Amino acid sequence: MQTTHPQEDFLLEVKNVTMKFTKYDVRVDALKELVVRAFRSDMKREKFVCLDDVSFQIKRGEAVAVCGRNGVGKSTLLKIVSGILKPTSGSVVCNGKITPLLKLGAGFDGNATGIENIYLNAAIMGYTKKEIDAALPKILDFAELGDFIYAPIKTYSSGMLARLGFSIAVNMDSEIMLIDEILAVGDMAFQKKCYAKLDELRAKGLTFLIVSHSSSVQKLVSRAIWIEQGKVLADGPAAEVLGRYTEAMMNSPKKS
Amino acid sequence: MEKEGIKRKLGQQFYLLRLLVRRNIKNQYYRSVIGILWTVLNPLLNMAVMAIVFINIFGRSGIGLDYPIYILSGNIIFGIMRSSTSGSLPCLVQQRDMLQKTKVSISLFPTANVFSSLITFLFSFIALLIVMFVRFLTKDYTFTWQIVFLVVLLPSVCLFSLGISYFLSALYVFFRDIKHIYSVILTLWTYLTPLFYSIEVLKNDFIEKAMIFNPMYHYVTYFRQLLMGIIPSWQTHLFCYGFGILSLLIGYLFLSAVRNKIAAKL
Repeated sequence: MQTTHPQEDFLLEVKNVTMKFTKYDVRVDALKELVVRAFRSDMKREKFVCLDDVSFQIKRGEAVAVCGRNGVGKSTLLKIVSGILKPTSGSVVCNGKITPLLKLGAGFDGNATGIENIYLNAAIMGYTKKEIDAALPKILDFAELGDFIYAPIKTYSSGMLARLGFSIAVNMDSEIMLIDEILAVGDMAFQKKCYAKLDELRAKGLTFLIVSHSSSVQKLVSRAIWIEQGKVLADGPAAEVLGRYTEAMMNSPKKS
Repeated sequence: MEKEGIKRKLGQQFYLLRLLVRRNIKNQYYRSVIGILWTVLNPLLNMAVMAIVFINIFGRSGIGLDYPIYILSGNIIFGIMRSSTSGSLPCLVQQRDMLQKTKVSISLFPTANVFSSLITFLFSFIALLIVMFVRFLTKDYTFTWQIVFLVVLLPSVCLFSLGISYFLSALYVFFRDIKHIYSVILTLWTYLTPLFYSIEVLKNDFIEKAMIFNPMYHYVTYFRQLLMGIIPSWQTHLFCYGFGILSLLIGYLFLSAVRNKIAAKL
């Protein structure tokens, strides 16, 4: 664990991150099952390598896309970068405040009103009451929920929930934002507004790491990292890498 | 600079804890017409039932305290432990979304449960005051000033409950069937603690000696001695805080040991 870093211009450095999961043939989550299996010595398990020696660095102000097929470890990578999961080996050094945006409105409480959930959600993300108070007008303005903000959020539609969640995340100050395929929500107008907001934040110097399995994020990012089978396959300018990725996906023979 | 950061972080965590406690309390009686009044009524009704059933069996002699007060005082102290641990057991699993998608300190959730149980206790304490006042009017009870020692007792009960809550909430992530095992243990524990009987009535040396190993016995006894106007001995203090700290230590160490596996396992 290093606290000081010689190259200060790197906001985020991922160094030789490897993540292994233990895969049981049968998921053991009952004590009874564990005892029975231990007696029958029936604990079939194997290590499943999810990420294999992944390294990259992100500079301040860069917008980076992580692309790859389903299940190659993109989301796991984001969880490791945000500190939710600890890698089996390797390290992540981050010199800024991270906002993980892996799911909109994680931790919303259905019985509470929109306002109460703004405070709860932002507090979970690590903000103080003062900071939330300051950002509240911007959040309300962006979410466009009108009087619904005083109603319990279990009465909201899924689009409204997404709007509220997104609005909280983008209106709180952070230095690096991790986004996991969450932009496919809301109606077209709101999606457009989201992309415009992200563009605006980017112009202000916010750093992004966006996960996507399609090339729809191309306009937003300048660089892309292609992950295949837990390894970095390509890392370079967005247009080039995403172009190659799309081509490979189109031409790939269907595997059974 | 560094010190400012720590202060901000502590303040932030405390604020989040407050929000979580408020959410717990609100959701507990959500949509019930009389709402928070239930926290006062519930122990009263419970006491009424037990007092009617057991007064002729256990309430005659050797308890040194008015029987309804005896039952209620035991029940509400035990209730702190019962409600915080049984509430904490599923709390990490229920918050899987939050724990998998955001970086939030997991120990906050069991802690919030203990605090909300403590607040519930304060409401139940109002019920006890009501009963004490009624019994005072019928000349069955006299108030004592020693009740202020409650502020010494409550932290030890909370430490004890917190330790168990840490332990159970983490264990439940790995073994979902402990929910059923724990509910049986809790029932057994309720009967093994002198809540509606007194161990003197049983006249059994073995039980009297074995009772020393029941932490809840010490908390309940402590509280009743205050109500009788006795300041508990230093041994009782030692037992209360000894069990509390031991429990917290075990719970915290277990939670720290499995902390990194929880997000992956959920």
